[in-house]
Amino acid sequence: MKKLHRIATGAIAALMAAGLAGCAGADDGTVNLTFQIWDVAQRDGMQAMCDAYTEQHPNVHIEVQVTSWDEYWTKLEAAAISNQMPDIFWMHTNEILKYADYGKLADCSDIVDTEHFSDISLANASGSDGKLYGVPKDKDTVGLVYNKEMFDEAGVAYPDETWTWDDLVDASQKIYDATGKYGYMAYGDDQLGYWNFVYQAGGSILTEDKTRANFTDPGTKMGMEFYIGLQSYDWCPDQTYFAETAPGTAFFSEKGAMFFEGDWNILTELQNYPDMVGKWDVAALPKCPNPVSGDGRASISNGLSYATSANNKHMDIVKDVLKFFGSEEGQRIQGESGAAIPAYEGLEDTWVGVFDEYPIDVTPFIDMFDYCVQSVNNAARPEWKTPVSDTLLKIYTGELDLDTGLQTMQEIVDEASAEYYEEDA
Amino acid sequence: MQKTSKLARDGAMWGLIMVAPTIIGLLVLNIWPFIQAIYMSFSKSLPFGMFEFEGIDNYVEMFQNAEFWKATWNTILFCILTVPVGIFLALLVAVLLNSKIRGRTTFRAIFFLPMVVAPAAVAMVWKWIFNSQYGIINSILGSNIGWLTDSKLVLITCAVVQVWSNIGYDAVLLLAGLQNVSATLYEAANLDGASKVKQFFHITLPMVSPTLFVVMIMRLMSSLKVFDLIYMMVDDANPALNDAQSLMSLFYRESFIAGDKGYASAIVVWTVLLIGIVTIFQFIGQKKWVNYEV
Repeated sequence: MKKLHRIATGAIAALMAAGLAGCAGADDGTVNLTFQIWDVAQRDGMQAMCDAYTEQHPNVHIEVQVTSWDEYWTKLEAAAISNQMPDIFWMHTNEILKYADYGKLADCSDIVDTEHFSDISLANASGSDGKLYGVPKDKDTVGLVYNKEMFDEAGVAYPDETWTWDDLVDASQKIYDATGKYGYMAYGDDQLGYWNFVYQAGGSILTEDKTRANFTDPGTKMGMEFYIGLQSYDWCPDQTYFAETAPGTAFFSEKGAMFFEGDWNILTELQNYPDMVGKWDVAALPKCPNPVSGDGRASISNGLSYATSANNKHMDIVKDVLKFFGSEEGQRIQGESGAAIPAYEGLEDTWVGVFDEYPIDVTPFIDMFDYCVQSVNNAARPEWKTPVSDTLLKIYTGELDLDTGLQTMQEIVDEASAEYYEEDA
Repeated sequence: MQKTSKLARDGAMWGLIMVAPTIIGLLVLNIWPFIQAIYMSFSKSLPFGMFEFEGIDNYVEMFQNAEFWKATWNTILFCILTVPVGIFLALLVAVLLNSKIRGRTTFRAIFFLPMVVAPAAVAMVWKWIFNSQYGIINSILGSNIGWLTDSKLVLITCAVVQVWSNIGYDAVLLLAGLQNVSATLYEAANLDGASKVKQFFHITLPMVSPTLFVVMIMRLMSSLKVFDLIYMMVDDANPALNDAQSLMSLFYRESFIAGDKGYASAIVVWTVLLIGIVTIFQFIGQKKWVNYEV
């Protein structure tokens, strides 16, 4: 124990010395910026974008740093508390309202060319006051990934945009009967799971002004009931199976025929499972045949943004970099690297083009932007995210029935949101 | 007179300077955060490290929360499952490694190995071993048991891994204790015709009891604080989460995932109290069974 402390104090002294040395080198007009991201698969794309900026501004160097998603938010919050946030970092819709509303992010309204971004992209980068606290980076949708061989073996036609929930169930049953493999793998997830079904059925997770939950809405209930009920079919594994095996893992080890996947994972999956290339493809999400309202179609669309701290020391330079990241040129580099679909309207093809070398058609992801729904968030989202997932697990295990479970979710979200949004009496 | 006193003062000053890094480290890294945690447990936490004093609300909420009591019970159950079995097996291994068997240095190294491996890696490997679909245990047994997903089994499974990873370390400590037992005691016992079993209970056990006591305190504390193992083996999507969650896993979720650091601090203070009470009882109990005579 004692030894450990001595090592710790020694390390602190060394770090302080290193910090001092670091400050000394910044006088020759060179600016070194840090850029924090969480996805290692996008590192090269981000670096390419930074290099393009450095080429135009040789005095600015940007270093891309990757931290895993699990640690990212713990680290960023600690950095925000001690006023040592990275110069540039990715922001996620789950967290942006918390950071923006507490004044941690710089207002980026003056550097975003709003006419080039969709309303959803802009909403994903806005704070509760409606101002932009980030530069839209990318946009995504959720698609239905399916195994062509299993469909062929069962003699079922491939899914397309005309598919409804009933087709999903029928095809799953036929594939299970013919091949013994699982059909559609429905598991306890929000963005890649029940959210899509809730919006297809005409329900919603939050009320329109986002201040309260909407779990007791008939449309919401319909979507939840259908989605949770899928695990009672023989062709769908139950939640204990998914606790040990992610649906993606099951799909790529050819245990199941279908699952929902976000577009941002497709390239990595093609690269990681070379033996599977050519055996699978992507379709639009099936629609609800009898929605309470709407036309039954929906896909959750999330988007990240680039942000900087409200009190960054090099604000002018950083904002210029961010402006470049949000420009057509910056977004094109991002798209062509295959990292993600650029938020910039009209550049979707740069991302689609990356897949030319693979026998896969990723255009359904792009087509779904026509009717996609913004990813669910409000300022209290970090607080209710986990308790709501826990409640969903309790519905799956039968500890709570559907109505009680939905009521519990409603109360969890309302209670957490009440601290942020005052009651409209 | 004057001169020696100055010398003594100098000596004391140098002594303090020499231990200062350790003391400062202890104060800054352990004592101060603990005081802060107590303060935080009486506060409402706002985002970005801000706190607002609010009295005992966190404790009231905690004591009314079924999940909290479940986690407390899980933690106690985990101790009951791991400590006695773990120490018994460690003692058994230590006695065997102390006897004149062939290749005993090799065996000692093998038993110590789990201690060298990072706990996260241990948990990952065991997670695969216990996997209900592809795990080696189910494929040997030809069964389909959800070792990590069945609410009745999950804590036992975690306990098995905990015991496995600590046997070697405890055994080495006990082995050191065993080697301090003078051989003359056994010679005398042999002359008196005492059996091996009698020798174990009347010589080995009393002589090694101080080490055993240390091991027991360490083991109980680490079991009460168990986090990494359960965090790695039972993830958020696991329906048996509630039946495996220890106090420290609950603390982690409340503090770093849900962001309620005030409430999480109350859990920590409760855990410290629990460990304190258990340790006090151990120190009272040791008078009855620990032998400090050589």
